[in-house]
Amino acid sequence: MNQGAKRGLAIYAVFAYAFLHVPLLILAVFSFNSSRFAVWESFSLQWYRAVANDSNLIESSVNSLIIAVVATVAATVIGTLAAYGLWKRGSAWISGSMYLSLVTPEIVTGASLLALFQWVFRFAHLRLGMHTVILAHVGFSIAYVVVVVLARLRSYDRTLEEAALDLGATEFGAFYRVTLPYLVPAIAAAAMLAFTVSIDDYVITSLVAGVDSQTLPMVIYAMARRGVNPALNAVSTLVVFGLGMLIMLSERFRKA
Amino acid sequence: MLMTVTMLAPLAIIVVYSLLTRGAYGGVELPWTIENFMRLWDPVYGIIFLRSFWIAAVATALCLVLGFPLAMFIAGSGPRKNLYLSLVILPFWTSFLIRTYAWMFLLRDTGILNSALQALHIIREPLPLLYNDGAVILGLVYGFLPFMVLPLYATLERLEPSLLEAAADLGARPWRALVSVTLPLCAPGIRAGAILVFVPCLGTYLTSDLLGGSKTVLIGNLVQNQFTASRDWPFGAALSLALMAIAMVLLFTARNRGEEIL
Amino acid sequence: MNRRTFLLGTTATAVACSRAPRLNIFNWSDYVAPDTIPSFEREFGIRVRYGTYESVPEMLAKVMTGNSGWDVVFPSAEYIQPMRDMGLLARLNHAWLPNLSNLDRQFQQPPWDPGLEWCVPYMHGATGIVYQKSLGWTPRAWSDLWDARLSGKLTMLDDPPEVFAACLKTLGYSLNSGDPSQLRAAQQRALAQKPLVRAYLNAEVRDQLVAGDVAAAEAWAVTAAQAIAAGSGKLAFSFPSEGFPRYADNVAILRESSRREGAHHFIDYLLRPRVAAAIVETTRTAACNGAAQQYLPEALRSDPVLYPSADILVRGEWFAPQSAASQRLRDRLWTEIKT
Repeated sequence: MNQGAKRGLAIYAVFAYAFLHVPLLILAVFSFNSSRFAVWESFSLQWYRAVANDSNLIESSVNSLIIAVVATVAATVIGTLAAYGLWKRGSAWISGSMYLSLVTPEIVTGASLLALFQWVFRFAHLRLGMHTVILAHVGFSIAYVVVVVLARLRSYDRTLEEAALDLGATEFGAFYRVTLPYLVPAIAAAAMLAFTVSIDDYVITSLVAGVDSQTLPMVIYAMARRGVNPALNAVSTLVVFGLGMLIMLSERFRKA
Repeated sequence: MLMTVTMLAPLAIIVVYSLLTRGAYGGVELPWTIENFMRLWDPVYGIIFLRSFWIAAVATALCLVLGFPLAMFIAGSGPRKNLYLSLVILPFWTSFLIRTYAWMFLLRDTGILNSALQALHIIREPLPLLYNDGAVILGLVYGFLPFMVLPLYATLERLEPSLLEAAADLGARPWRALVSVTLPLCAPGIRAGAILVFVPCLGTYLTSDLLGGSKTVLIGNLVQNQFTASRDWPFGAALSLALMAIAMVLLFTARNRGEEIL
Repeated sequence: MNRRTFLLGTTATAVACSRAPRLNIFNWSDYVAPDTIPSFEREFGIRVRYGTYESVPEMLAKVMTGNSGWDVVFPSAEYIQPMRDMGLLARLNHAWLPNLSNLDRQFQQPPWDPGLEWCVPYMHGATGIVYQKSLGWTPRAWSDLWDARLSGKLTMLDDPPEVFAACLKTLGYSLNSGDPSQLRAAQQRALAQKPLVRAYLNAEVRDQLVAGDVAAAEAWAVTAAQAIAAGSGKLAFSFPSEGFPRYADNVAILRESSRREGAHHFIDYLLRPRVAAAIVETTRTAACNGAAQQYLPEALRSDPVLYPSADILVRGEWFAPQSAASQRLRDRLWTEIKT
């Protein structure tokens, strides 16, 4: 790629990132606004104080994080293995289920999972709760992981693994030493996707959540339904800031 | 195996529900009936399906056009790759709802965009930027862009640079190299991204409710309505099956020379 | 952290917390005062888990299965009979509700539950028209919302029963009508109005009214009261002359609940005049609790939006449950309107 094209891409990237981030910046700016409305009044931290005092918000954020982390780990592991299995052997059942999982509207997945859980619970004496939410999240995230990892596997050279086997590696060793490193960027991308999908899910979560498992999107939806509320701005700014910090930190650790 | 069961069990329930009758106050009960499927042939649902497909297709195309250069940039950005990738993802870790509200905030008659344009004397009356199909598509593109960028990045990242060099050696201009070499090699990524965007767009309802002013009914709204306000689960199930069937057909026809997306 | 450890951890915490008696309350959002729940918890030593919902169908979807975990819910009046028929509600024990007499007289024998066996009315309101005084003219009737002068600055509620109610009233029919020809005529009215409608909004319209984006809106009295309070005198409300819907939210106990006594304590607590008054002051709704009136500040007690005079109220009509066929037709017509 020549220099001109590279520069053009870079300029485009600037605009693209602006498009992605400007709405959030505006939200952040107005989270410090003392007035509820779109007109700047004066600098104030009142909305942040409101957030800190809202135990409901804090509890649901913690819930969301726990669910997202657990579900991401599980879905990434299962999804990667499934993608690998699909790539090596192919299975109509599994790829069929993946298709279905992707194609089903969220409301349908949610309603049917709810019905399924209720039916199972008649025998198992359980209730809706964190575990049902996590199960649901793992369920719908797997397909995303598979799609991303498989896309990368498609451009992978099969013969590399065969070569490893010829050289005396076990099947698992071939996978672990040869294929897996190749897949790492795709797995990372897939994990990020799964985390995003999980932490932001409203429809399915609201249907299968129990009495004790309110998540952040549920609380936000309730707040947002009632109109503009700068506390929401404060929440989103905090989330972006916190996660941004995490990413910076993880970059540091990787370099070190 | 377990995974297959967990995927298919909900589907089985949907199929069963679609064949039952709506209970007096919601829920399902016998008798078995195919009436729900018969109702689907009503032309009003055809219009809804078509409009939903149109909006989803436009949004997907825009995501592809906007996302591809961005993915190329990230893939070619050397050691800072992960940072740039994270910057794409970061906005999407805030709530989808909040971001949608951010756009409402921006696009309202008394919102920032209109106020700025009026202050600059470019327009006199506020533009109706909100509560129309355009706003819905904007919201969809904004919401699903990373779903396109991530798979594209995953395939682009491992492109052999030597292939592009070979193309250059053979006399191809950068644009030609892009079209003839890069694009075909990225095809799996493009297809993956297209599915991850198109399908959820088909089933969306929050965006059209919030940014579209709830003035148009898309399939997502229709299905959601059946499961909540109308409490007609069987019809909702039948609708969903129809939607899923059409989407599956599209997916299959998108397969190229026997190569599957999954 | 794997799932097993996590589940063990949660069970342990749950066991630890379960030493105190609990109560799970599922309510509309923004329907209690900041101190309502904490002081209930302090006085009765019961730990409350408080969840909220935005619409009754949302609540019903969880509760219908009989296994949701909630004890107390707040259904609207027209859902009481269906929920009772579905076997979801527990009978109330009046012996445990000494404060029942605090209810306003008109709610002691409400049409949807004359014996108050299943529910206790909580808050009520009406639907009407909020408008900007700067319009220069006063929309006094639903038919005023078809005025071309409002084009692009009018919103209606995103709620089929409400929109049908407005349309049916302009035609002089009952808002609970199940008659197909009447409903179709109402649908024609809605379609005629649609080009003027900016959006179909519920409570979100409040901020748009205050900001001036919207000139007139079909809105619930509670939204209207909040908007007027925030709108620095620019907004006003009118109860349409053709008649208007009235709604009431009630508190009820689910049959699946094993904590009936605690639930009754909560309902009785809500019936206390001071408690109800505190809630009204926060949420600006109209309480069904007559004894609470004396504790309200003058401004709220005489608020014409929340507590209209009797001659206005007589024009109101309560929502009633629809038959399955009528519901089906309404859904179908609503879909057509929106397409």
